[in-house]
Formats: sequence, C-alpha cells, structure tokens
Amino acid sequence: MNERELDLQLIQRIQNGEQQAFALLVRKYQTRVANILTRYVRSSGDIPDVSQEVFIKVYKSLPNFRGDSAFYTWLFRITVNTAKNYLTSQSRRPPASDIDAEEADSYDGSGALKDDANPEAILHSQEVKQVILKVIGDLPDELKSAITLRELEGMSYDEIAQIESCPIGTVRSRIFRAREAIDKQLKPLLEH
Amino acid sequence: MKEYSQDISTLIDNELHDDMVIKHILDDTESQKQFSRYQLIGDVMRDESEGLDLRIDITNSVMAVIVNETQDNKIVPVATPEKVESNVVPFMKRFGQYAIAASVAGVVVVSSLMINQNVATDPSVTPVLNTVPFGGAAAPVSLQAKPVQTKSDIKERNEHLEALLKDHQLQLQVQP
Repeated sequence: MNERELDLQLIQRIQNGEQQAFALLVRKYQTRVANILTRYVRSSGDIPDVSQEVFIKVYKSLPNFRGDSAFYTWLFRITVNTAKNYLTSQSRRPPASDIDAEEADSYDGSGALKDDANPEAILHSQEVKQVILKVIGDLPDELKSAITLRELEGMSYDEIAQIESCPIGTVRSRIFRAREAIDKQLKPLLEH
Repeated sequence: MKEYSQDISTLIDNELHDDMVIKHILDDTESQKQFSRYQLIGDVMRDESEGLDLRIDITNSVMAVIVNETQDNKIVPVATPEKVESNVVPFMKRFGQYAIAASVAGVVVVSSLMINQNVATDPSVTPVLNTVPFGGAAAPVSLQAKPVQTKSDIKERNEHLEALLKDHQLQLQVQP
C-alpha cells in the first residue's frame, strides 16, 4: 500500500457521503499544512484560521479531485493559494522566493520567518519535541532503528525488514511499540 | 474487544488496507486522537512542527463548519426551475387577430351604411350635439347623414368590401 492509497480510500468515502472520513484527512495533514503556512503567514495566531480555510476549500473541491496527482500535492497547491489570498487580503506581498508543488513532500519551512510567534506555543512545541526525542533515545536499539527508518527515511516495512533482517510482522510490531512508548509521554502534554 | 492501536500505527504507515480499521477509527473519538498523536510523532521527528502551537487541533472546528454548511444546503434545497412560458405572441396569431378585428369592424361599418341608406332623416329631430359650425356648412360625415352617393361610388365601395371579405377569408385559412 503506497502513500496515496489511504488518502484515496478516505477521499472515496467522503465522495460517497461519509463526511466523517474528512476528519482523518485533517488529522493527518493539519501539521504539514500549518508548517507550509508559516512560510507565508507571519502572525502565528492566524495560522489556525487560515488552516481551517484551507481544509474547507479542500472539502468543497473534493468532488473535482480526480486523483491525477497525489492528494498531498493537490492540498499543497490549495494551501499556497489560500496563503497568497490571505496575504492579499492583508495587503502584504507574497514572499519573493516561492516553493514549488513538486517540492511539497520535501519542503522544510523551519527556516521561515516567524516574526509574530507565540512564545508560549514555541516553548510547548520545544517541550513536545524534547520529550519525543528523549523517549526515542531511551528506546531499545531495534525499536529506535525501526521508527527512525520509517519516519525519517520514509522506508516501507519491507525495506526495513530487509535492512534489519527480520520478518515484516516484527517491523510492524517494533514501530508500534516505539510509538506506544512515545505516545505514553506525549498524550499528557497535548491534553488541556 | 479488539485492540486497534497497532492497526492504527500500521495504517498511518500505509501498510494496512482494511476498511474495518478505518471504520473503527471513524466511529471512535479516542482512536482518532491516537491517530493524530501517532501522526504528530512523525511530524515532530521530521521538524515539520517547528514553532507551531501543537495544542491546537482544528479538526473539530473544520468539521463543524462543514456540517453546518451541509445542513444549510439541506434546508435550502435547490429549486427546480419551472418551465417559463413565453409572453411573446406568435406573429401569425397576432396578425390573424388583427385581421379578424378589422374584418368585423368593416362588416359593422358596411351594415350600418346599408341600413341607414333606407332611413329618411327627420328634420324635426334635433341632434344631441350640434356639430354644425357657426356660419358654415358641415360635411356629411355622420352615419345619420345622408351621403350623396353615385352608382359608381356604391359599386366601388361594394368591390372594396368584397376585397375585404376575401382578405378576411384568406386570413382565416392562413391562421393556424
């Protein structure tokens, strides 16, 4: 199953009237959309509103989504267009250097200017990151390796199984156990 | 009850194609939150969450807007346009109506003239409205007036009337 299949499966459900399936797409992509928006929207307080606008546009446009390109590439274009419209409405010019839809998967917006970042949010974000990295650091090597190869290298279970010389089922289990351990520490940080 | 946590993890990695798992997540709020956190772990590891307020989850607000808009659309159903009837009267129909009206008017005028030819004007009857101008003579334009007609005038008039009647009959044939 490749990257596109879960998205297409969810989109098919939405197009068949299962509105709730869209919630999973939002959950899956909201951080990445917000990350793209930081490139354009300097006021961090506006990012949730613009993100919401992006997903509502996506939902309304879904009947026209033909699946010619990956859902994320399509989402990326809508995000950038919405951000530019936002800048126009704020009478601000879009950034001189643009990012391409083709670079969507590899785009890292961490270097973008954020002149109106919320210090509390930054602290919280840093805390979340530290906790996750700490838990990963404390994991047994086989779990650490499995989660790293999956999340950072984007390898499939089959590829990881070949590298680790173990069955695919073991890879599945190791990645899950790593996530479970991280989630145990992460969950209290995200609950209000 | 089946434990879905590992299935959620596998689903996120696009290594599981199971409708039942997706259905379970869609039906279970806690599983959805777990899906979000598992997704966030990867986002944070890839530095895609730098500077973002990770406490904010827009899922509920987005879904609320979508549900509201859907309900609004249901309340105001798209009206089926009714068949609009044209106000334009077909040319032939209108023309036929005028032809009939003109013919009827012609017949009425002719009948009156024919009847009045045989009625003698009573000089003792004073007209309700005296239209004779002071110091002048009026031309006999009234139906009550006795027209001075020659035989050729009558013949010409009858020919004209016959032409009108023929025209009327022709119009009746042409009319749909």
